[in-house]
Amino acid sequence: MTGPVSVAVSPAFWVAVVAYCVASVLLLVVLAGKANVRPIAVLFVVIAMIAHGTDIGWRGVEGVHPAGSVREALGFLAFIVTGGYVLASTRYRLTLGGVVVMPVSLVLLLLARLTPAGDRSEDLSVLGRIHISLATLGVGIFALASALSAIYLVEDRALRRKKFDTAAFKDRGAPLEALDRLAHRLVWVGFPIFTVALVLGAIWTSRLGQDLGRIEYLLAVVTWFVFATLLVARQIYGWRGRRAAKLTLEGFAAALAVLVIYLVRRIVG
Amino acid sequence: MSELFVVGISWRTAKVAVREKLAFREDEVADTLTALTRELPVSEALLISTCNRVEVYGVAKAGSDAPSTVRGWLAQRRNAKLAELTDALYERRGPAAIRHVFAVASSLDSLVVGEAQILGQLKDAYALSGTAGTSGPVLSRAVERAFGVAKRVRTETTIARGAANVSSVAVELAGRVFGDLAGKSVLVVGAGKMSSLAARHLYTNGAQRIVVTNRSPEKAEALADEIDGVAQPWADLERLLAGADVVISSTGAREPVLTRAMFKRVAKARKYRPIMIIDIAVPRDAEPQIQDIDGVYLFDIDDLDKVVAANLAERAKAAEHAGRIVEHEAGQFEHWLRTQGVVPTIRALREKFAQIADAEVQKALDQLARKELTREQQREQLQRVVQLVINKLLHQPTTVLRGSAKEQGELRAGVLADLFALEISDQQPEVPETEPADDKSAEVQA
Repeated sequence: MTGPVSVAVSPAFWVAVVAYCVASVLLLVVLAGKANVRPIAVLFVVIAMIAHGTDIGWRGVEGVHPAGSVREALGFLAFIVTGGYVLASTRYRLTLGGVVVMPVSLVLLLLARLTPAGDRSEDLSVLGRIHISLATLGVGIFALASALSAIYLVEDRALRRKKFDTAAFKDRGAPLEALDRLAHRLVWVGFPIFTVALVLGAIWTSRLGQDLGRIEYLLAVVTWFVFATLLVARQIYGWRGRRAAKLTLEGFAAALAVLVIYLVRRIVG
Repeated sequence: MSELFVVGISWRTAKVAVREKLAFREDEVADTLTALTRELPVSEALLISTCNRVEVYGVAKAGSDAPSTVRGWLAQRRNAKLAELTDALYERRGPAAIRHVFAVASSLDSLVVGEAQILGQLKDAYALSGTAGTSGPVLSRAVERAFGVAKRVRTETTIARGAANVSSVAVELAGRVFGDLAGKSVLVVGAGKMSSLAARHLYTNGAQRIVVTNRSPEKAEALADEIDGVAQPWADLERLLAGADVVISSTGAREPVLTRAMFKRVAKARKYRPIMIIDIAVPRDAEPQIQDIDGVYLFDIDDLDKVVAANLAERAKAAEHAGRIVEHEAGQFEHWLRTQGVVPTIRALREKFAQIADAEVQKALDQLARKELTREQQREQLQRVVQLVINKLLHQPTTVLRGSAKEQGELRAGVLADLFALEISDQQPEVPETEPADDKSAEVQA
């Protein structure tokens, strides 16, 4: 079954957009030292997540599968990132992470809903749907690991350079060891999912008769290699901390490039 | 009306040489309070005596100048010359005293703003005043509210955030790297006083094990005994570093004992698990280049001082917000205190009204029980009872109002109009007499 390429945006979408904007600003205010604003900021983060989820549900009712296209998958990816952030926030103070995650989720959601839908795609097979679903989930988990790695690098830098009056130090976010451990666990979870997605994608692509040498496929393989290297190097050589965080970001950058290329292809046809 | 006051001396007004003259031991406080309330016009009293302040909080008896008498009494009690204390002693009365106790409890008046000790000390002092039987309704309410304000300040502001001394900074920085210190191992390199303090602080904050190493094995043993640690040979330093999570170093060596080359090996052996070095030695024990190695976090004494300074600056900022909370809470407390003057009158008024109403209702019920009444008769009876209650309630004020001289009468009439929100027109009908009806008038006229 093929859903419509585009559906008018739901009221929940606009609520999510406003909530993402407000949450981003409020988290910045918290980071600037207004600790008492934190509960309101958290409230808007939660509102954004709920509205975002409602929007995805709304589109589902309208017959648009969240993994029905890369464009839809972007919206779903942003939801996974926000949801993961909310989950992690229940354990750690992640103001700094929120300042990064909220705008990123907002941009992804806007890209997913407001960019031109492009031509109606060919019927998606079950294989295609599973591939897109798993790839979205895998990249979403990598995105969370990357957000934690980014926070790690900022906090690590503040600590090493003795920037004790910077927001990164004053915010008293999650401890470095916890950030490193959590990012590593996420990569461990995301890697097998992404691996299966990659294999299914290769099979699906060859069934469609497309060229496996296209740049997005090669970049997907690069992503897999980067995360594979990260896991092996950590296991054998004890790579962690800064090196692991940088590698996680590099791997995610490759995954993001794949998504962007898919999106651009979809828009320009 | 009774007035809350405080008379005291603190680090703000006097050096320790003066403060110690007025200090009280804990076992002296109860007797002092009892004597104070017995000998002076003070109905309630509390005494707090810490290294930074000696203060008497009290409630002055109406019409007295209790704070002035307390000043002289304190000096006499401590065999000090009042003239020597005059400049150092301060007093606050009424609203200023309320603000003061709220600020003290919230640690806004402390030497290190935001420190938590003062709240505990104030709680102890309050408990002692309870033991001595000198805390009454006003003081209790003020001090208990002060505890609430302190809690609010600590919750709503960042005043208590961030370490304010070197030992606490070591714990704070370790928290930034490791989070929970549970299960972490601390290595003390050298046997300096400061390092033992910091190690002990880490231990009390959850670190699992303390290892001490020093060039002199005897000193290492002595320090290990003192801080419940384990002494290890100096020759094993590199191995010990590989097993430690936090290193506190203060050897007194002229050359660095923790070198980059050594730490490259250590980091590799640890598989780059994070390790934090607190180097409080001068000259420094650790080569600064160590901090370029992955997983190694190095802080020297200047860094620790910088953290303290940054935290204190942060607390000073939070103190402004805390000051506004104290101001707001003090305003509310003053309002409560003002209402306390009219509470007995309100209570008496309610009791009197209730008595009159109860008596009339009871009479009516007794009569109703004796007769069979129609619905209409019941209604008339009820109206009569209500009228009777109104008459009785209004009898006294109406009589007083009628009997008042012109000016006083107008004043009273104005108060009544205000209290009962009366709209008074110029042409009033004749006001009936409100003589209290005798019991017969309440008889049912069936």
